[in-house]
This record gives sequence, structure tokens and C-alpha cells, in this order.
Amino acid sequence: MNEIQSNLDILVIGAGITGIESSLMLSKSDRKVHLIEKTSYTGGMAIKFEEVFANMECSTCMVAPLQQELLQNKNINLLTLAEVEDVEGCFGNFTVKIHKKARYVDMKNCIGCNACFEPCPVHLKNEFEECLSERKAIYTPFAGALPNAPMIDTKHCLRFNGKDCRACQEACMFEAIDFNQKDEHIQLTIGAIIVATGYTPFDCREIPQYGYGKINNVFTAFEFERLYASNGPTDGKILLKNGKIPKSAAIIHCVGRDNKGYCSSVCCMYSLKFNHYLTSKIPGIKISEFYTDLCIPGKSHQKFYEKIKKMGTMLIRASDIEITEQGEEIAIKYIDVGGKKNSITVDMVILTSAIVPKDDAEKLAKILGITIDEYGFFKEQNQNASSVVTSKPGVFIVGCSQGPKNIQESISQAGAAVGKILSTH
Amino acid sequence: MTEQFEPRIVGFLCNWCSYAGADLAGTSKLKIPSSLTPIRVMCSSRIDPVLILTALLQGADGVLIAGCHPGDCHYNEGNYYARRRFAVLKKVVDSLGLESDRLCLSWVSASEGQRFAEVVNEFNEKIKKMGQNPMKKKML
Amino acid sequence: MNRKIGVYICECGPNIAEKIDIDKVIEAVTSLNDIVTVERYKLLCSEAGKNYLTEQIKKHSLTHLVVAACSPRDHQLTFMEVCENAKINPYLFQLANIREQCAWVTDNKEEATKKAIRLTKAAIARVRCHSPLEKKEIESNPDILIIGGGIAGIEASLQLAHSNRKIYLVEKNSFLGGLIKNFEKKYPEMQPCSASILQKIETIKKISNIKIFTDSEVQEILGFFGNFEVKVKNKKEKDIESFNVGAVVFATGSSLFDINKNPQYGYGKFDNVLTSLEFEQMNLSKKIVLKNNKTPKSVAIIYCVGRTDKGYCSEICCMYSIKFVRYLKDNIPDIKIVNFYSDLCIPGKSHQKFYEQTQGENIDFIRAENIDITKKGEQLNISYDDETNRKKNCIVDMVILSPALEPSVDAAKLAEFTGVPLGDGDFFAEEHEKLNPVSTSTQGVFIAGCAQGPKSISDTIIQAEAVTGKILSSLIPGKKIEPEVKVSQISESFCIGCKTCLDICSYGAITFDEMNKISVVNEVICRGCGNCVAACPSGAITLKHFTFNQIYEELKEAVQ
Repeated sequence: MNEIQSNLDILVIGAGITGIESSLMLSKSDRKVHLIEKTSYTGGMAIKFEEVFANMECSTCMVAPLQQELLQNKNINLLTLAEVEDVEGCFGNFTVKIHKKARYVDMKNCIGCNACFEPCPVHLKNEFEECLSERKAIYTPFAGALPNAPMIDTKHCLRFNGKDCRACQEACMFEAIDFNQKDEHIQLTIGAIIVATGYTPFDCREIPQYGYGKINNVFTAFEFERLYASNGPTDGKILLKNGKIPKSAAIIHCVGRDNKGYCSSVCCMYSLKFNHYLTSKIPGIKISEFYTDLCIPGKSHQKFYEKIKKMGTMLIRASDIEITEQGEEIAIKYIDVGGKKNSITVDMVILTSAIVPKDDAEKLAKILGITIDEYGFFKEQNQNASSVVTSKPGVFIVGCSQGPKNIQESISQAGAAVGKILSTH
Repeated sequence: MTEQFEPRIVGFLCNWCSYAGADLAGTSKLKIPSSLTPIRVMCSSRIDPVLILTALLQGADGVLIAGCHPGDCHYNEGNYYARRRFAVLKKVVDSLGLESDRLCLSWVSASEGQRFAEVVNEFNEKIKKMGQNPMKKKML
Repeated sequence: MNRKIGVYICECGPNIAEKIDIDKVIEAVTSLNDIVTVERYKLLCSEAGKNYLTEQIKKHSLTHLVVAACSPRDHQLTFMEVCENAKINPYLFQLANIREQCAWVTDNKEEATKKAIRLTKAAIARVRCHSPLEKKEIESNPDILIIGGGIAGIEASLQLAHSNRKIYLVEKNSFLGGLIKNFEKKYPEMQPCSASILQKIETIKKISNIKIFTDSEVQEILGFFGNFEVKVKNKKEKDIESFNVGAVVFATGSSLFDINKNPQYGYGKFDNVLTSLEFEQMNLSKKIVLKNNKTPKSVAIIYCVGRTDKGYCSEICCMYSIKFVRYLKDNIPDIKIVNFYSDLCIPGKSHQKFYEQTQGENIDFIRAENIDITKKGEQLNISYDDETNRKKNCIVDMVILSPALEPSVDAAKLAEFTGVPLGDGDFFAEEHEKLNPVSTSTQGVFIAGCAQGPKSISDTIIQAEAVTGKILSSLIPGKKIEPEVKVSQISESFCIGCKTCLDICSYGAITFDEMNKISVVNEVICRGCGNCVAACPSGAITLKHFTFNQIYEELKEAVQ
């Protein structure tokens, strides 16, 4: 029998909660893990949430210890601002090329004091906060981001646009700002790959009748998450665009379901969570939930639903929803179960967007030599077997990059991919 | 005298939520009264009533215990035990003729830097109004 | 012992130096007992800073180290490593957080300086009471006990068998395969299910390091992670086998809600009212017929049976009911099918398509409430309230009830003698709803599949594999287990044997020594929260590194 030397190191793509969990588990069995993350921070989408359903645990409290463990773990090589460029080889012996963009901040020297932000003269919208607050051209996306080191947005930094600004460099006492840093092209030899690139929310502009982007106070789910977040742009105050506190709110379920052709499995639950958010901050607020079918599977979720229902939320099964501006308020027209036209007015509308694949999923699939399904998620080899196995041996897909799912299911998949790797490789 | 009064507040903070929340207040450069001296413990349930009483007897003007929100405890249910013990202790303190208002139990999560600052500021104001811990005078 | 404490204050560039008068802090602590040296340094966490500390420790032959700098969440481990490299026990170190919780939150420099002095003095007072703590290593057994020979147990066994360890698979029935052995096909791809599980059973029987016990029951599980002692009883031959394992997997699956609790469906009273499982078996035997052996012309499928009683949605009933529509149409193409549902729960990327492709002629989906089934001649009458609350009815030849899933009866028994708690719906409680769905609060005991909660076959397979991942990454042949160092300890002489601490521990780390009538902490299981310390009425319990004295000394300085 021929035995080929196989490389035990693992590449994990995506440092969201699923990628972090995969990496930590692998590191415990003394595997060397290269964890690469496209953004400058870890924690992915879960770090944007203030609380998670159904136990309403604080998300940061849940994720931060994992992030900390990750940063201190000697078996894990975290590469931020990094993307996979090329993959060659086969299970046990992949050669991977990574493009690591320059941060222009030396992470060895930076202590995360943030002194560089203030003097930066460039004011920009903060994408992490769904553009509800500002950032500078040198920034960390939010207080508490890990690793706690800023990056320079070269698209907007004056210095990278022909001006001789060195405000941040002058402010830094640790010589951490390095304008001469160069992008790196790193080549790694690894044995297996776990893809944990996550999802993106459905673009609510695709449904013009919901008025998102045109009507003030129509928010997406993520905008609302950040409004409620205690480390968010309003320090957790739920405010209308005019700074007033809403007296009524409507939550629209299934936004994008018809366009996408699947149920995203988490929206009903997180809508119920939003109910909790609203009533805990604004006692007495009137909430209406517009839904089609309530999808709250699992042993713990209905209990949460019943608790929310008791708080007096109006649950309206509706179709043909249309949202228009009516003075300061927002009118919602809909057809009820009896086929009758109906309408209500509210101060605030929250659209619970579907989970959709990342824009670059197809590109990454090509690089990895795996396929995507009709919805654009990574495709499992065979639905009859494990959903983390792809058509390419040694490449595993976990979390929402494989399909919409909740955190628990994502974490289970992370464990499954690790199990697959450790038992066969 | 009250104008000069600078309280001494001991803050027992659980490692996972409240200490992290206090750190976030720092990273966010919020203002916290310097009267507070934080003491890190792994879980709010470690803080036995004896430690709290000792703090009062040692002259602390206020004692703050902060842990994870109910349901969030890193050790499942430590904070529930802390809450129960605290409720009993308050009664004991009252019955001893001490001021149970000098004790405060609060929940602060790792993302609630702002809330941590608010909790401490509020408690500090309250203690300032209450004045010095009479135990301290006795000891002096 | 002569203590030689070195105190180092980090300037952290301007972060601390500008906000705190470090020289005043130095002045305030220099003359304290045991202090050998007090120094300031520009950035202690840098490579140069760490080297500097190492040299200082050696130069002054320090026995204890205090650093006043940033949060322990940032650099506690960094400085503990410095200690280790410089050959002082890393627990003879204390970090005073004068950045996040002092310099950064205090405007007034004088106040900040005073607070920094208190914090540094508190750290010094505390470190004086520190004791060296050593890492422990405990031998562990890599073998695994898996309880339940359904799909979860089979998948876990197959995967773990690759990894050079013995697997004990215990099944109460005389056969493996669990419930899904009865399913002809699996949704949504409609690939063979029963055939595929039978194949897996053949494979598993051939693997020499998997030992299968059928007709058997686990009677006892004693011990802890890495070292469990197990007794398995063969129900037929009445003999008991004992062996040791390092971890246990509960894969006890589910059973169906007892429909007799909902008499309105007429189950057991009328012919041709079947449970989903009975219908699966009928379909598998390729004979979908009525009691009178005639082929049914119309069928009603009732969803969500028992949901209200159980208080949860069983997740899979909508999908398998839709699968039944496929079964029926495949076998009896012109049959009329009426689906009575409440909320269609078809989460995930491929399920809605399955539903959409199942619609067609003579297939109705009706949202209904208050369903009541009565006999009407040879047929069955279903009365119901429709969406607009109007009373309606419908007559069919056959009714299939899709009942909720509930934990198998073994779960409660296992929970009782192992102390692994049950949670919502009386399924086994996972250690953490999100982060640890396949672990339990008892370290080394894992749960997979419907034992944890109702779920599909795919999700069950994923959990079985996740358990494999958990086990393979924590229980490695030849590798010792390193338990937490900062654990509770019970003094034999102070313990009065009141057992208060036993119930309080969330992890079952405390047991009672009946011989000596005292409580004992198992250091492998203890996580070091300290809850038992506060609960102990006789002050017999100490939490290492968070002892009463250590905290007392710290707080004495805090109130100065």
C-alpha cells in the first residue's frame, strides 16, 4: 500500500462564530489552524446582535470568550483582511494562496488605544453600524472589536489619495501606523479546508413595495439590531429618524422569501426577539407582526413565542403587503386571511430580511473546486449523507454558507466538519 | 463635610460579563467615578455574604456586585444564587441596623459598557447622598 | 518564605503615563513590606518589555510579580507566560488593571492616581496570599459508550471507529436502526432511507472495534470524563458486563406522542386512522390499503397532532407529511389528498421547493383548527374550522396523523441515574443552547439526535458527527486530560457533611464520601465558579486563586 504524506494543518475560511468554533475545536487536538477572515475583525454576524433567541443571552458575552481564546491560541494563525486566491491539490495536500491586504497598522505594536481615530479628518459612514453612525478612514468598526487594532481604509484615506496627511501616524505613540505596509501573498500547505463564510441579509430594496430606502423609519433587521445594541450608534436607544421614540412598530416577516424560494428558518424567531427588544426598551409600544406561516421549530422556540404573545403583540397573517408614507407615519396595506383589504399605520417598520449567500460565494466555489446550488449556497455532495461534505474531498462547508440556519445548527455543523476531519485525516 | 466626601465603593465584578462590560466602558472612554475599586471574581456566585459584610465592616461606603444578566451566566445559574443570597443578606443587614442601601446588585453584560457607567454613576450618587459609612467612623 | 515582590508599572505610551502620575504610585508602594523593586516601563507587553521583565525577575530573584497595566483580559496570559519562562509559578502574579478601569475612565489626574495607588496596593496585598498552583494531568480512557442504536448512534459509532479506540454500542431492542428503519425514503431528495440504514448496520457489524449489545440496557455509569465505569445488562440473558470508557453518548432518539391523549382524532376507535409510523410501515411493505383491503381513494393527513399538548413544534412533521403525499401519489396516482395544517414549517434551503413540487391536482392544503374525526359509514368525516373560523367538513377513506416527537422513555431513566438534566420538552438539556448543543453539563457525556430535541435525519447525522468532533478533539488516545487549575477544594476537617454544596454545583463536580461523611470535589469536573464556596455554611470550601484571604486583602486596600 502506498502511503502519501498527508498534511495535518487545516484552513478555515471565515472567522464568524462557526469558523471560530471549528478552529478552537481543531486546535484542541493539536492541529495547526490557519483561520482567514475577509474583514478586519472576528465574530461575523453574531457579534452584531445584542441578544440571541430564545434565551435572550447577550451575544457579546457569548462570543467574546471564544474570540479571546482564539487570539491567545498558539495553534491558530488568524489572518484578517485575507482572502483565498487559489487552491490546488487534494485532500491531505492542498496548496493555498492567500491574499492578505495591508492593514497599515502593525498589530505587534498597536495596543488598541484608539488615539489615531480622533485626528483623522475623513468622516465616513460606518458600514458595521449599517451606516447609522460615522467612522474615520482609520478605524475599528465598533468598540470592543477583536483583534483590537484599527485598519486604514485606503479608498478614503487622504494619504492614499495623493495628500500628505499623516495625522494618525503623528497621534500614534507606538509607531504602529505603517503606510509602507504591503499586501502579502501567502502560500500555505494544508490538509483540509473548512468553509465558514456565512451569509448576507437579503437586500430589501429588491421589494420596492416595502419602501425601504425611500421611507424614513423603515428599517432592516440589521439596522434594528444595531439600534438596540448597547454598543451601537444610539447606545441602545430605539429611536426614529427624527430622534423621537416610536409608539408603534410593525415587523414584516418573510422579506425576500418569495424572491428566493426558501424559508430562511430564523426570521420568525428573530422577529419575536425584536418584540422583546421593543417592549423591553419602550414599555407599552404597540407591535404588529405581519407573517404568513409561523416557523418556530424545535423544543424551546414555541415557549418563547407564547411568552411574546402574552405581551400583547398583534399577530396578523397577511399577504400583498404594501408600505407607504403617510405624513410622519407609515401606512401598511395588506390582505387578511379572509381576503379582505385592510390597513394600519405605525411609526416604525422593521423588515426581517431573508438569509442569502454572500456575493462572492460563486467565485470562492470556483477557487475551491466545489459547486453552488440553485440558490447560491455551497452545495453538499449528497443530501442523504452529511450536509458538511462537498463533492471535493477535503473541503467541508459549515454554517450559513451551506444554507440558512440558526447558531445552534451552525455550531453543530462546525463540530461535524471537525469530526469528519479528525476521524479520517 | 458632604462636599468633600469621596466615597469608597468596592465593586465585585464577574469575569465573563460585568468585568468585560467595565473594560468596554474603558475602551469606550466613558467616565466612571474613581470611588469604585473593582475586584474581579470568576462568578458573582463566589461572593459570599461574609465578603460583603466584611467590605462594609472595613469601611466601604458602598458595595456593588455585578454579574451576568439572569439566564446568561457562564456557569449556568451562578447569578441566580447570587441574587438569592443577596436578597437574604439585605434583610440581615437591615435587621442588624446597618444600611442595606449601601449594597447594590446589578446585571451588566459584556456589551453594556454604557450601562456599567450608568450603574456606577447612579450608585455613586446615592452613596454620596447617604454620606460616609458610619462603621468607618467607629473604626476610626 | 521570604517574599520578594517586584512591581512594574506600564506607561502604555501616553495611555497610562498621561492620565496617572506614575511616580506617585511608585512612591506610594515602594516602602511596603516585601517590595524589592518598583519600576516604570514604557510598554511591558512588547517583546522588549517581556524581556525586561524576565531579566528583572532574575536580577532581583523575585518570588512574586505585580504588574500594573491593562485589563487581565488583554495581557494576563502574556505576563503569566513571562513568569513561567523566568521560573516563577505563574499564579504568583497579579495584574492591576489601571488602564481600562482607571486611566481611561477617570478625567482628573489626581483622582486617577489615587485610584491607581489603591489598585496597585490591592494587587500587592493579594499577591502576598497567592499560592503556587500546578497543572494536573490525568490519564484517560479513549473508549466510548454509545447508548441507542438508531441513526445517531450508528453514525457516531462508524465515525469514531476510525480513530483507534473501542466503541460500545448499546441498543435496548433486538435490532439496530431505530425508527428510521421503517422509512422507505428520506425527504427532500427522496433517496432510499431504510435500505441505506440496513447497509450501514451490515457495515457496523463487520467493524472489529465496535462491540454491539442488543437487547441490552445500561444500568450504571459512574465516574467522570476520561474515566467512566459502565455496567450493561443483557435483558434476555440477564448477565451484566462491566467496562470502562472515557466518554458517553446519549443517542436515545425519540418516540411518537401518544395519540390516545387526543381522542378527537378517533385513533384506536375507528378503522383506517393511522399514525405516521404505521403509515411508513404500510408504505414500506408496498401495500397502502384500507382495513377491508381496498385501495383508498382519498386520504387526509393531519399535521401538528399533539403540538398543543407538548408545547413545541416538532420541526419535521410538515416535511414528512408532504413526503407522505409523494408516497401516496407514487402508489395511487389518482388518489385525493387533503392536508390539514396550522403553520407550514418548512425551514431550510431545499424544503420549500419540495413543498411546491408536491402540489398538484387532487392535493389540497387547508389551514384548519379544531379538527374532529367521526365515522361516516365506511368512511371518516373530518370536521374543522377554516382560516376564517367557518365550520367545514370533509369525508375521506383514510386518515394519517402526524404526531409530535417526544423523548424516548429511556431518556428520563438515564437522566435519573446519571444526573444529566432534562430540559425543554423533557429532552436532554444541552450545555449551552447555542454554543454547546451536543454537550451536557456533565463533562464527557454528549447528546446527539432526537435525544437533544426533535430534528430531521440530516440534522441528526450532523449532531452525531459533531459529537465525534467533540470527542476526537478532547479525548485523544495517549494524551492526558488537563483539568482547570483554579478549582474548589473542601477541607476534610471543616466539612460537616451537610451536603449543601452537592445540589448547588451545576456540573455535578461534588460527591459525598459516605465513609468519611464529607463532600469531595472532583477536580476534573469542577470549573471554578466558586458558587459552592459561598454556599458552604461551615466555610470548608476554598476556591483556589480566589480564596477568602486573597479577596479580603484586596478589598481592604480597595476601601482605603
